[in-house]
Amino acid sequence: MLRLLLQGAFYTLVLAVAGIAGGTTLGLLLTPLGFLRARPLRAFYHVFIFFTRGTPLLVLALLIFYGLPAMNFSQGPYVAGTIVLTIYSSAFFAEVFRGGVLAIQRTHLESGRSLGLAPLAFLRRIIAPLALRYALPPYVNVCVMMVKASSILSIISVWELTLAAREIIERTLLVFTALGIAAGLYFIMCFGVDRLGRRVERHLMRRGFVGERV
Amino acid sequence: MITIQGLRKCFPNGLEVLRGIDLAIGDGEVVSLIGRSGSGKTTLLRCINFLEEYDAGEIRLDGTPLWYRAATGGARTRMPEPAIRALRQQMGIVFQQFNLFPHMTALENVCLGPSFAHKRPEAEVKALAQQLLERVGLGGKMRSYPYQLSGGEQQRVAIARALAMRPKVLLLDEITSALDPELVGEVLEVIRSLVLERMMMVIVTHELRFAREISHRIAYLSRGQITEIGPPGELLDNPQDSTLKEFLRRMP
Repeated sequence: MLRLLLQGAFYTLVLAVAGIAGGTTLGLLLTPLGFLRARPLRAFYHVFIFFTRGTPLLVLALLIFYGLPAMNFSQGPYVAGTIVLTIYSSAFFAEVFRGGVLAIQRTHLESGRSLGLAPLAFLRRIIAPLALRYALPPYVNVCVMMVKASSILSIISVWELTLAAREIIERTLLVFTALGIAAGLYFIMCFGVDRLGRRVERHLMRRGFVGERV
Repeated sequence: MITIQGLRKCFPNGLEVLRGIDLAIGDGEVVSLIGRSGSGKTTLLRCINFLEEYDAGEIRLDGTPLWYRAATGGARTRMPEPAIRALRQQMGIVFQQFNLFPHMTALENVCLGPSFAHKRPEAEVKALAQQLLERVGLGGKMRSYPYQLSGGEQQRVAIARALAMRPKVLLLDEITSALDPELVGEVLEVIRSLVLERMMMVIVTHELRFAREISHRIAYLSRGQITEIGPPGELLDNPQDSTLKEFLRRMP
């Protein structure tokens, strides 16, 4: 039983990492739209965030699972599952990054302007490092959410930890044992993500990313 | 040299912060701007660097009009961004709140401007930055991050960062106001040395003693206008304007 659950946990982890990677990439591409002067693009950004965030993950999962084959793009539940997590998390990540940019002090932006930095240098050397630093705690937050959110994918026949637990329950009726171990495995994974985030944060502190309070 | 003519600016709430400023600053000249808070002195300084837009008037650097271009029909348009950037690179500004980039060492802070603006080889920029940091007495702290430096040290790095642009003019916006009293001296010492090098400077300050010591001229601003301007001795010891008299009486 434990072997099956560990296998399920491995699939959960792979799905979460794939979803987080995809969501982060999509989120990073989306965030700039929220700052553009062009109204239509900014409107697109907010509409996308509004609908993606406002849709229950379960509904989104079913929509994509049944929607992809309808669009003649049928690659099985794992691809569908990864796409679900990517789209869903991208909305959260984009807002997390937008918050990071908004947290940058006006004074730092003015310093950059007064040095006459070109837009790309400005983005690379000032905005991106500071915004990502400010975004880190809520970013880790969303990552932890995604590890757990992947359990929803069991509904579209993605085999992962939750589905593994349900299989065991159906076969052995050991409800609490199976679910207890599954819960423990989820906890360990989330704890790991959290630790990882802290480590990055501590590393950045030594690199000067935190004001006076170290 | 910098010439300012008829500079006017309204805040969006309708308040007129600058109501027709005329001022000429020669090469190597140090002009201090004093006045009550809200008199427009900081806004004037920020307009020179175009951190604030202004509604009317003209600022020239060595004869070249800055920031706006005349368009047909008497209107004016902002210069294109690359032109604005190129002009900003000819000026240095130091702020009240140091504003060093927290994620860069002292050396990286100083190198950032010139390495992008002047497109010089890395080694040359670094050598210049090291030289400037040594000059402001921080040769031993090049690898320190801002949070590891005292306020006075951070402000000296900020001065070095501004100097690294090889600016034609240095704009100083209340650079000692946020410092502990015992750290003020070390920053002013750096400014004194710049006066000797005939660096053109415009200084917004509340330190009248310091303004008297280093300025060639002091301008007193009141409600968005320069109501009195002259050599420190004249302006501070024999003020003519009644609000200036009142202002000086209240200063320690």
